[in-house]
Amino acid sequence: MLFEFDAEQRLWQDTVHKAVLKECPPALVRAVADDGADPTPLWRGYVDLGWTELTDPADAVELAIVLEELGRATDPTPYLATLTRFAPLAPEFADPARSGTAVHSGVTATPAGGGWILEGTSRYVLDGDRADRLAVVTDAGVFVVPATAVTAARTPAFDPVLHLAEVTFTQVRVGTGDRSSADPARARHLALTGTALTMVGACRRALDLVLDHVRTRRQFDAPIGSFQAVQHKAADMHVAVERARALAYFAALTIAEDDPRRPLAAAMAKASAGECQALVFRNAVQLFGAMGHTWENDLQFAVKRAKAGELMLGGATEHRAFVADHAAGGVS
Amino acid sequence: MRLSFDDDVEAFRAEFAAFLEANLPAEAEAAERSRSTAHLPAWARRWQRRQFDEGWLLPGNPPEFGGRNATVIQQYVHREELSRRRICHSFNPQGVGIIAASLLSFGTEEQKHHWAVPILRAEITAALGMSEPGAGSDLASLRTRADLDGDHFTVNGQKVWTSGAHDADVLLAFVRTDQDAPKHKGISVLLVPTDTPGVTRRPFASYTGPDDKDFNEVFFENVRVPAENLVGPLNQGWRVANGSLGHERTLMWLGEAERLEAVVRDFRPTGDLEKDWYATLVMDLQALRLLGSAALARAARGEQDVPALSVLKVFGSEAAQHALEHVLEASGPDGLAHPARTAPYFHMSFDDDSASWFNRFARSFGGTIAGGTSEIQRTIIAERVLGLPRR
Repeated sequence: MLFEFDAEQRLWQDTVHKAVLKECPPALVRAVADDGADPTPLWRGYVDLGWTELTDPADAVELAIVLEELGRATDPTPYLATLTRFAPLAPEFADPARSGTAVHSGVTATPAGGGWILEGTSRYVLDGDRADRLAVVTDAGVFVVPATAVTAARTPAFDPVLHLAEVTFTQVRVGTGDRSSADPARARHLALTGTALTMVGACRRALDLVLDHVRTRRQFDAPIGSFQAVQHKAADMHVAVERARALAYFAALTIAEDDPRRPLAAAMAKASAGECQALVFRNAVQLFGAMGHTWENDLQFAVKRAKAGELMLGGATEHRAFVADHAAGGVS
Repeated sequence: MRLSFDDDVEAFRAEFAAFLEANLPAEAEAAERSRSTAHLPAWARRWQRRQFDEGWLLPGNPPEFGGRNATVIQQYVHREELSRRRICHSFNPQGVGIIAASLLSFGTEEQKHHWAVPILRAEITAALGMSEPGAGSDLASLRTRADLDGDHFTVNGQKVWTSGAHDADVLLAFVRTDQDAPKHKGISVLLVPTDTPGVTRRPFASYTGPDDKDFNEVFFENVRVPAENLVGPLNQGWRVANGSLGHERTLMWLGEAERLEAVVRDFRPTGDLEKDWYATLVMDLQALRLLGSAALARAARGEQDVPALSVLKVFGSEAAQHALEHVLEASGPDGLAHPARTAPYFHMSFDDDSASWFNRFARSFGGTIAGGTSEIQRTIIAERVLGLPRR
């Protein structure tokens, strides 16, 4: 394998990076967190840019590039849920203009009159309070239902920009036309990879903020970034980000090429992103000193997004156990 | 980014595999083992020369320097095949990977043909004379001096840690040629044949055993070196050093990847904790391979990004060290036995790769110390990759 962006991918990365800086600047994230600004226009911007059309698995690397950049920016829209939770569970239901998410547990499907009745409650559903559609995993298959068919209540999260919800299905009637043929196990590979990329992007953002801080903050008549103890913590963050980033893109590549290593690669991506955020959170907050503890400092958005990712879809320890069980003799 | 390659690349791979099939020395032939990193038994010389003659030693080079003008991706595939089969293409790795490579970058045409080609063809071996008793991490403070006097330099001073020097025919020595210039600006590079009068080499043992002698002290006492042995311009040796360090770090992370690969192969984890260690090791190896493939591609295009290699060096060496520490711990009382073999003997690898777990762990500090310590690598990453201010 050769792990290097080709010319087209580099151009795409540059395009996406510039667009995210323009469309989703830190001031917008701050406005969402502090003033409850509505991110819907931003979502429509992504639709207009064509980013919500990246649902073909062959485009997984291009999607990965968008997800990493949006992770850096603490994207306040339901993009991650739509493209990596909903889309792989509902490939036949693609609609670039509408958002979506996935419900993995708590809902039962009971056969009734040629269809099914969905019943139950699921907690901590990513964007469950605002996604236009939900792909619901049940023992009888995966069903796609409109948000209007369920009741949802947002659950406050430590990441102030993150939307989580408790979603309740009460006598929701679905038919065969609402059923998706997707395999939830395979869909999970993209969900894991997408969350890992978000975490990697958030960790890069945390590192960037730390670097700006230690270059300018002076103590003992010198920028603190010239002190070796500080430099070495920053270097460790960089190495951890590079490692996690490599494994996240490897996972995206296995999805794009439908490589048999995709379950293993997805687990490695999520595990290494988890390890990365642990080190980056610790070093970033430490190196910012007391300033890192304040609400007004944007560092909070990056480290909280990274930490939130670790608490979703299984943490590093769980995924390492999977890796150990599925990588006897190594990866290739 | 790609997991698989086009047909022409796979054809190249198949051609190399066929070459290996037809030319790899048999195990019986390789009974005499290499005793240092510059000692080539006759069979190892024949093996390296065969690769040179067929253009497989360094495929990216033109044929006159042991290659076949291979593309970046072909060079990568070549390394994959060697590493997959655990084959050393040279048992004088620094000679081929650092010294000949530095000569091809910075040497004159005469030096390329007179020194680099014989090193590549395994007619002679070479060792790298950088460190000194007072110049380790602070390499630029080196004090071995060379005074130009007409058609020759007179060299006086001492090197240390000079791997394989007692078995090498020539040293690439970094010396001070301007005593008054700032320390980075007065350094030059000389090729010093080790049979020159006044050169004394004293091998000494590593802590793994009294017979494990690769380290050397090298003393220079009024050593006359022809002026034409100057590599690169006078007093511009720091540039050469940077290039050489880049080659060295590349060689080192490739070595760490192979060590990690060997641990993946040889470690049999039992229980949840050991499996957890194993998973980390598998992930480290995969990440190192991925990041390394991008670095190899940059290098093959001629892009010099030496600071970025520090990421691979520090990451690879520390990953190998952690893995070996864990495997040694997992070995329990069996790990006490010494000497012991922890993997099947393989005649195309250095014997260290199958030594006891303690030796494999103990040697891992070579990775975190040689070629710039992990502490120095972190400082390089902070200042030259991340742009933090210097003290």
